[in-house]
Amino acid sequence: MLDRVRLTYKQQRFETLAVAVMCLGAAAWALLASWHLNSVGVPASCLVDGGVPYWNGPSNASWIPAVCQLPSQRFTEALTSLDVGLASSLGDVLPFFVGIAMGVPLVARELEQGTAPLSWSLAGARWKWLAGRILAALLLIVPLLLIAGLAADVLRGAQERGIDLHASFHYFTSRGVFLVLWGVAALMGSVALGALLGRTMPVVVVALIVCLFARAAWEPLTDRYLLHGMAVLEMPGVQSPGELLVYQSDVLYLDGKVYTGTDCWVSNGVPGCQYGPGDEPDPSSIGPQLAWYVITGDHYWQVVALESAIMLAGSAALGALALFWVGRRRPY
Amino acid sequence: MATDAGVLLAQATGIALQAHALSKRFGRKVALDAVDLTVPAGSVTALVGPNGAGKTTLIRVCMAFERPNGGMVEVDGVDPWKHRSEALRRVGYVPQTPAVYRGLDVDDHLAMARSLHSGFDAEYARKRLNQLGIPLDQRADTLSGGQAAQLGLAIALGTRAKVLLLDEPLANLDPLARREFIQVLIDAVKSDGSTALLSSHIVTDVEEACDRLVILGAGKVLLDCPLEEARQAHRLTDSKSPPPGGVAVGSFAGKGLTRLTLWRVPADAGDGAWAATEPASLEEVVLGYLAAGRGTTGLQLN
Repeated sequence: MLDRVRLTYKQQRFETLAVAVMCLGAAAWALLASWHLNSVGVPASCLVDGGVPYWNGPSNASWIPAVCQLPSQRFTEALTSLDVGLASSLGDVLPFFVGIAMGVPLVARELEQGTAPLSWSLAGARWKWLAGRILAALLLIVPLLLIAGLAADVLRGAQERGIDLHASFHYFTSRGVFLVLWGVAALMGSVALGALLGRTMPVVVVALIVCLFARAAWEPLTDRYLLHGMAVLEMPGVQSPGELLVYQSDVLYLDGKVYTGTDCWVSNGVPGCQYGPGDEPDPSSIGPQLAWYVITGDHYWQVVALESAIMLAGSAALGALALFWVGRRRPY
Repeated sequence: MATDAGVLLAQATGIALQAHALSKRFGRKVALDAVDLTVPAGSVTALVGPNGAGKTTLIRVCMAFERPNGGMVEVDGVDPWKHRSEALRRVGYVPQTPAVYRGLDVDDHLAMARSLHSGFDAEYARKRLNQLGIPLDQRADTLSGGQAAQLGLAIALGTRAKVLLLDEPLANLDPLARREFIQVLIDAVKSDGSTALLSSHIVTDVEEACDRLVILGAGKVLLDCPLEEARQAHRLTDSKSPPPGGVAVGSFAGKGLTRLTLWRVPADAGDGAWAATEPASLEEVVLGYLAAGRGTTGLQLN
């Protein structure tokens, strides 16, 4: 088995190296961006509801205490800087690049380069052959993506000072263990597509499109169909979506999750949204957002476990499809 | 196990590979048309035919790469489609195009074979490659065509399989590499007591290696007999009148566009009855049968 793992890495030496560089590079970048944010040194006394007040300019910041205005301004500048912005968005794309890079060659390249007949003539059970290769890929990407995911957690913690990372749903599927889960799903999907299509470039293109849609659809779908049953608090008077209007805000963060990502919170059991003086959004420019349930942060691990289980089950199904199809298809 | 009876029967009857009414279609194209074939254990059988005759398809069916549409095939008594793992344990395979991994060196290929095939004898394969002077640390994508083919053969031999299936391994080799390949194959088969089915469309190459000839044309077996019998039992004439007792096989254009006819001689005919006729070379035997399979036009001796 060790030989098989070693030879898989050697066969895919470019992808192996690229994946390692991407993950460790992204992790290092996230940690540097965190350091950049932390180096601003916003005093704890300046935090509002656990977050650094967003600096919108002198005219709109009159509600921020004078002593906090400069730190808020500097922090906001760091937060909106290119390096922090790019680092925080890496979590959305990195696992897909990693999964596709390692997954596509496992079957598609073997078929394309005509080496599958040799391997499959030697391996009596093709599923064992593929399982060994998938295992090798997993052994590489799981720890690397975990490192990148933990670094993304650190960055999120720096971006949202005072936030409890394990009780906040803010960007929670773009950090931590979710990077591993997305990467594994992308890997399995790429392997399955490789087994079905048997050509590298078409698999890369289709896999990228599928991953894009999966990522975009995940949160709306889980919010609507998966997590609603876990809501601990229905918005008052709301019987169905659309009855309560809540305005979007980027200033304060909810210690829980609100449908559509609207930034509100629960205080004394009452959900609500607050704005600084003169900071109310203009409904005509932002548009009303709908909220109809709240899941508080103490359900964080429950939500993570549920979403993780679904992603792992989906990955396992894709892996099973790949193993099944490799057993049936021609090796060319 | 379900395969035990078949294996015991194959051992008892001395049959390494057999097909009965084996059919394979790709859409409307018939690749194998009710093929009956018997390869005795310990033989080196040449599977000869033009491009598109069905040679590769036959071997791929034996390797469980293709599912037959009808009939049966057994490799050492095991149906490869029903019991793939069992069958592949008994088969060493050399594909048409040398299949080597670009990023791996020669020794990595042997390590990979050992990791995939529990019975793979890496030392044996190494020894064979050393004898040929192929460096084990050389990257496979820098090997010559002949060396890559030898690597493929060494891997197949390293499996210590009872049956070797070689799918036109000589097609892309130069004459010297072809000769070396055949020498290694003959030596290995003799020393290991295995069975080989060597497909080729180059008759002269297999003539020295094989003791049995199977001619495949348009998906049908046109001839299946020992090589010596193929030589002895056929004569060539440029006359359309049949010699006494002879059965016309097929006609084809010879050198100078002379029309030649291949005749099958009765097994009990003495040399005297055929004194006036010319013994057919193996290539002419093949051409005669292929002409019969296609009709009598379009074939010409080189």
